[in-house]
Amino acid sequence: MTAAATPADVESARGASRESAGTRSAAAATSVLVLPGVAWLGVFFLVPLAIMAVVSVGAVDSAGHITLANPSLRNYSHALDPEFIPALLRSIYYAAATTLLSLAIGYPVAYWISRYGGRHKVALLILVMLPFWTSYLIRTYAWVMILRDNGVLNSVLLDSGVIDEPIPILNTDVSVILGMTYGFLPYAILPLFVSIDRLDYSMVQAARDLYASGRGAFIHVTLPLTMPGLVAAGLLTFIPALGDFVTPSVLGGAQTTTIAKLVQTIFTAGRDWPYGSALGFLLMGVTIVGTLVALRSLRREVMGASA
Amino acid sequence: MTERDLPGMSFNEALDQKLAQAKWSRREFLGRVAAFGAAAALTQLLIACGQGGASPTAVPATTGPSPQGTTTAEATATPAPTPVPTPEKELFVYNWDAYIGEDTVAKFQDKYGIKVTYDNFVDESSQIGKIQSDGKGGGYDIHYPASTWVQSFITDGLIQKIDHSLIPNLKNLNAAWQSPDYDPGNAYSVPNFWWTTGYAWDPRDISGNLTSWAELWDPSRKNKMSMLDDLRECFAAGAFRLGLSPNTTDLAELDKILQLLEQQKPLLRFYTATDQITDMVNEVVEMAHCWSGDWVQMTYDKPRLKYVIPSEGSIRGNDVMVISSGAPHPIAAHLWIDFNLDGDVSAASTNYIGYMGPNDAALPKIDDYIKNDPRLNPPKEVLAELIELAYLKPDDLAHYTDRWNALQA
Amino acid sequence: MSGKPSRWLTGFTVLTYVFLFAPIVVLIVFSFNDSRRSFTWQGFTLQWYEKLLANTEMIDALRVTLVVAVAAVVGATILGSLLGLGLARLRFRGSGGVQTLLLLPIMTPEIIMGISLLVFFSQLFGLNGSIGQIALAHITFCISYVAITVRARAASLDPRLEEAARDLGASAVGAFRHVTLPLLAPGIAAGAMLAFALSFDDLVVTSFNTGVGSTTLPVQIYSGIRFGVTPQINAISTIIVAVVSIALLLAWRLGAFRTAARAVVADPEAA
Repeated sequence: MTAAATPADVESARGASRESAGTRSAAAATSVLVLPGVAWLGVFFLVPLAIMAVVSVGAVDSAGHITLANPSLRNYSHALDPEFIPALLRSIYYAAATTLLSLAIGYPVAYWISRYGGRHKVALLILVMLPFWTSYLIRTYAWVMILRDNGVLNSVLLDSGVIDEPIPILNTDVSVILGMTYGFLPYAILPLFVSIDRLDYSMVQAARDLYASGRGAFIHVTLPLTMPGLVAAGLLTFIPALGDFVTPSVLGGAQTTTIAKLVQTIFTAGRDWPYGSALGFLLMGVTIVGTLVALRSLRREVMGASA
Repeated sequence: MTERDLPGMSFNEALDQKLAQAKWSRREFLGRVAAFGAAAALTQLLIACGQGGASPTAVPATTGPSPQGTTTAEATATPAPTPVPTPEKELFVYNWDAYIGEDTVAKFQDKYGIKVTYDNFVDESSQIGKIQSDGKGGGYDIHYPASTWVQSFITDGLIQKIDHSLIPNLKNLNAAWQSPDYDPGNAYSVPNFWWTTGYAWDPRDISGNLTSWAELWDPSRKNKMSMLDDLRECFAAGAFRLGLSPNTTDLAELDKILQLLEQQKPLLRFYTATDQITDMVNEVVEMAHCWSGDWVQMTYDKPRLKYVIPSEGSIRGNDVMVISSGAPHPIAAHLWIDFNLDGDVSAASTNYIGYMGPNDAALPKIDDYIKNDPRLNPPKEVLAELIELAYLKPDDLAHYTDRWNALQA
Repeated sequence: MSGKPSRWLTGFTVLTYVFLFAPIVVLIVFSFNDSRRSFTWQGFTLQWYEKLLANTEMIDALRVTLVVAVAAVVGATILGSLLGLGLARLRFRGSGGVQTLLLLPIMTPEIIMGISLLVFFSQLFGLNGSIGQIALAHITFCISYVAITVRARAASLDPRLEEAARDLGASAVGAFRHVTLPLLAPGIAAGAMLAFALSFDDLVVTSFNTGVGSTTLPVQIYSGIRFGVTPQINAISTIIVAVVSIALLLAWRLGAFRTAARAVVADPEAA
């Protein structure tokens, strides 16, 4: 990503004479900037996670207690069961659709706020977040009221003559994706805004002259320049969407179970922490490999585009 | 791990040494591993290692099943002859939301001058997780688990023996509930309310008197039915249809039930454990698998809705009041239980939430529509035929979970 | 800076705001609905507001939620911003590992994070859940969101700006304060807003870390959801939206945004 490229510029700009001083101050900067956050995540995230990793090779004994008497990878092989595949594919489908929609909706909005928001930019951004300072559950239930067969949306469509009978939207793939897009849209808009807002519009203008089309300028200049924002927005949408199970349970139906819901079930109704942890870790493994591969190929593409 | 320490096994030696430094016996250590999970204990061990043998402050002094026999340290600390010990000034209660009379907490506070902190949890797993978290009740005095948990809580030392001398209102319990199977003599628990499982339907959409579980498999109601998002309850419904036990652990039988549930799934609008009341009231579905108290709540908004305990048999259950082994306010906790067993108090709760309890003194004050309804207050012979969901051994439960996941995925 | 937006783009943006606020309008309307759980209009009432004001559990839960959210925002914004800036600017050994570490909390299934923290606090420290414990948990899962947002901003900045300031004689701290920080501010503000929303809404992780008297609003709401979303919740949300809107309007009228906009969004490059 761009992060890797910029420090190189710094180093070269500094010149050889200041290199050693630069290295020293870089070390100091690293310890000030990076260490506190890493230390925090180490203590409050990695240590607890390591405990669960140990749990995942354990088992539940006949009294219902977790035992490490015979540590094994049994839970992992159990979790590789193909029965999870439909739910996994469904989760990926929901998360991908949510991400694409969020980026497609979020980009123009973030662009508009940044370009034309003027001195109201901050207020407009707070307005994007305002609905999210109410509770998630009631927002989702408000969607139930809007989407149900005799709800607000169907009434409006019926009265205006667009449809003759209510269309069933609730408890389908459509309502799940709509609800998730609603829930994750701010996580796309904000990172997109902070990146787009750094655009130098004189460059865009120059590109318009060069490519003689708005589209060409957008594809060759605007998009590559705002790629860090797109990547951040994509990550902050796709990954949490993959783990969402509240939206599919409230707005979804009998046929919309996600893999995160099954993990939840194993922990709660199944009372099997070792097995649930193992399945959870497998999912994290798949997600992280997928993400890193996607980021790498994206970086190659961006580099290619901007070169 | 075995109790034998072979000379060559340096890890075991080191372990024992660390345990000794940490002032734990190996037995205690194993007990602790059992009580919550080896991983946690191992990390604690690492802490002990890090402290190089200093007494581990992180370890709570009272671990293990010590405080069971007596009321608690505080109670015994009070001079012995006092007949009723002075209650503490506070009480911490952990219960389902809206599962108690509307002003029970306020009345208790007024009567005893004890400040009650009444917290609600999200679902049973966070309730049970809280009780088990520190091996002595998670900081709360009173919990309301389902009766099926009582035995395992006793074994793990999570709850303490109840001092019957502090609860004179125990006499109000119906004779049939003086010594339930899950806790003979109510030594550790006091029954609270009971429920049955069945289904509710809207007679505007469905005519006739429904009695069978098979109605929930009727293809003409595709997309208009919901089942509880509860694997045991769904398997029980299937088991009753097939004439099997809802507590079966026979794999072939479980497969048969799974087949039946797989036939049902495409007909369902959803599985839910939270929306069955709202969705029946708002006509999202016309038939819903639910608990008896859910139906009472539904009728507050839509009196026409009906409910049946299916003729093939069904589930009954009850919850209990228990006192944590580490309860910070054990005397106040006993007063709380006694207060809730009072006829007036118990009746007020039942009239508010729609669940009946085994309280004879409450009976005269319970609203007629509840106590005269055989579905809410089933006659003895019906109650006798209803079955309690047994606590399943982990291996058996895993067979249920696997099949449930296959169904859901 | 401005110019004229295309009608299509403006219309699209307006529609998006309508989409964002549609459920809020519904919940405001239903906070005045005279029925405990009906989805249809049954008449106007103020009873849910009266009941809410008498409902100490709900008010306490709101207080706990706000305290936790503020702590989470402060903690996560500080740690996350530093981390985001560091990752964008510095090349150090293990930076790839740190990037991956940052993604892990977002990838961890919520229930695993919740239970792992429960085990961590109860077994290692004998803690039984509290406002502080919830705040620590929230800071932990908010850091990544702040860091990734700030990093996206920092990565689009030209590091030579700070260099130039230093070459002009500014101290490292001075260059950071007067050049880098104002440029990063929108990213930091955006990260803080995301952190607030995340903390305010969290249910699963919180439900395993609550203790006596530290129930948050989402836990309180979810625990009662079986009985329908009580319109009291709609009422409390309406009040929150109203308070924030009024504060927003006041700030607008008092010109705070003009100053803020100048400080936050103004481009020192152009100055």
